[in-house]
Amino acid sequence: MKNIYQPIEAIVEDIIVETPAIKTFALRTREPFSFKTGQFIELTVPGVGEAPFTPSSDPNIKDKIDVTIMNVGRVTSILHGIERNSSVGIRGPYGRGYPLESFYGKDVVIVGGGVGLAPLRSLLFSLFGQIDKYNKVILRYGARSPKDIVYKDAIPEWSRRKKVDVVVTVDVGESGWAGNVGLVTTIIKDLPVNLKNAVAVVCGPPIMMKFVTLKLLDEGFAPKDIYLSMEKNMSCGLGKCGHCRIGRFYACKDGPVFTYDELKDIPEIWD
Amino acid sequence: MNNVYYITEKDFQDFIDRLTNDAEVFFPFEKSPGPRKEKDYFYQKISPGACLKFNPYRTIEPLRTFFVSAYDKLAHYFTDKKEVLVDPKKKTIIFGVKSCDLVEQKVQDFVFLEGVDVDTAYKIKRENTILVSGDCTDFKEVCHCLAWEVLPYPQDGFDLNISPLNEGFLVEVGSGKGQGLVDAYKGLFSIAKDTQIAARKAKRDGLIDRLKRHLLPQNLVKYTDVQRLVKEGYNLDTWKQFMQTCVECGGCNFACGTCHCFLLADRKEDKLNSKVRLWDSCLYANFARVAGGANPLKLRAQRLRNRFLKKFDFFVDNMGKPACCGCGRCIEVCPGKIDIREVLKDLEKKLSCKK
Repeated sequence: MKNIYQPIEAIVEDIIVETPAIKTFALRTREPFSFKTGQFIELTVPGVGEAPFTPSSDPNIKDKIDVTIMNVGRVTSILHGIERNSSVGIRGPYGRGYPLESFYGKDVVIVGGGVGLAPLRSLLFSLFGQIDKYNKVILRYGARSPKDIVYKDAIPEWSRRKKVDVVVTVDVGESGWAGNVGLVTTIIKDLPVNLKNAVAVVCGPPIMMKFVTLKLLDEGFAPKDIYLSMEKNMSCGLGKCGHCRIGRFYACKDGPVFTYDELKDIPEIWD
Repeated sequence: MNNVYYITEKDFQDFIDRLTNDAEVFFPFEKSPGPRKEKDYFYQKISPGACLKFNPYRTIEPLRTFFVSAYDKLAHYFTDKKEVLVDPKKKTIIFGVKSCDLVEQKVQDFVFLEGVDVDTAYKIKRENTILVSGDCTDFKEVCHCLAWEVLPYPQDGFDLNISPLNEGFLVEVGSGKGQGLVDAYKGLFSIAKDTQIAARKAKRDGLIDRLKRHLLPQNLVKYTDVQRLVKEGYNLDTWKQFMQTCVECGGCNFACGTCHCFLLADRKEDKLNSKVRLWDSCLYANFARVAGGANPLKLRAQRLRNRFLKKFDFFVDNMGKPACCGCGRCIEVCPGKIDIREVLKDLEKKLSCKK
């Protein structure tokens, strides 16, 4: 009989150091596993604990998933210490991901902050895979400083793609940085989009999501066209443990992706 | 068709003794009066011959503790060792369940049996358990089921329901499982007479009258108003005020029959990895904290408000009903004397002043 709390085993095939605090773990599952972009998993360190992450890899690649993890807490600090060929557990995938079908034919604006680019990378791969279905893809990414930028090698490649427009900024520059300096909100002004036919997808720390959302509204985006990946402490992933309530929703089963329209009347959503 | 039977006290004792042959049977036992000078009842596993006394009102512990324990092993992983986590053959029969318990269990069923996926262990335990409820023949000071439009005798959700009558009990069948029990011990039961059923009604009405008289001076808020009160009262100082005496023990959560929040944790014992479930409390400081330190329920007042929003806003929206039925366990258990009735009344009072 099915046990919803049972993790499947995955082997850490590769570990890529993205920044001093962020690593990407390439995992190969021992059983078939697939997810939809934007859905999340619970990643278990055997016998130690688990935490929720949204895979950063292409959902069309089966049996292998990438998870990009910042070292911020108990489980993530242990994950940062594990080595290749270690065994980890996966439960999921959980929740409602990005509704790709409703992006068809549209300008898709993607705004990421810090390690928030991880789920968005998975989304980008999904969009690139069927780029004909979308009008254009606009990526705006902000990191704290140049050394905090994730996927450094991939970003220039993405920006060379057809129908893809990429701008990166850092909050604080450093010597040798010739790019933009300023918060991510400074690079989402006057976006080259048709507002009547555009959606925006935002992922990053809560404070960044708040100000990006306000800015996007200011720029003319409708609340129903702004998609947010909400960060809560999802534990069971199944709407049973009660930790990730947002108003009448649970982030784990009703999200983690919500439109701003769904959340805008709920108090204190950014806390 | 009449599905109500009569059984004498003596035969009832015999019935229960015989049930212990092929099931674990639990029955409420009396404990000496607590600080409120009321008798308290706790479930105990019984053996044949145990001296049983009908409990007039609910037990101290909520019914859900039979299905979700404070600590449950849920899964072993990355091992070939097969340890049985839930025994699919174990049968349990619980006596002394009350109307509030059955209503509360519906919230647990909503959480663990519905939604995205079914909690299989819960389902097995639920299916293998027979609930024998009973009418309330008395109430505790904190009991206020009528304010939640829950009657002090079970309406549904039971397998058998028992009503004391003269030198015996009326036994109402509420499910196929319940009918099965009656059929298996046919000789002990006789079809109830209309006069007996009328007598049961008179006793039930009598208790409702007494409970109404007990509740009337309390001026409790209306059941249909609670969602509005917690939403409109979001920014009131009620939360801060009532939270002043909270010691964050989590007692209100653990005593509650509708609370269901839990932590999933990982354990390693003898090289065996397991997922375990522990009860969690939304009054604890780290309940909503995420890695990195952000905590949407950082303030104590936010946590009390969250408890009320969950019960009276979230569940009304998602289940169509508030997750409370006035069993009063949270009032009884609270060392800070935080009274759910008073919190709701305070919201109502302050909101009506603002108008």
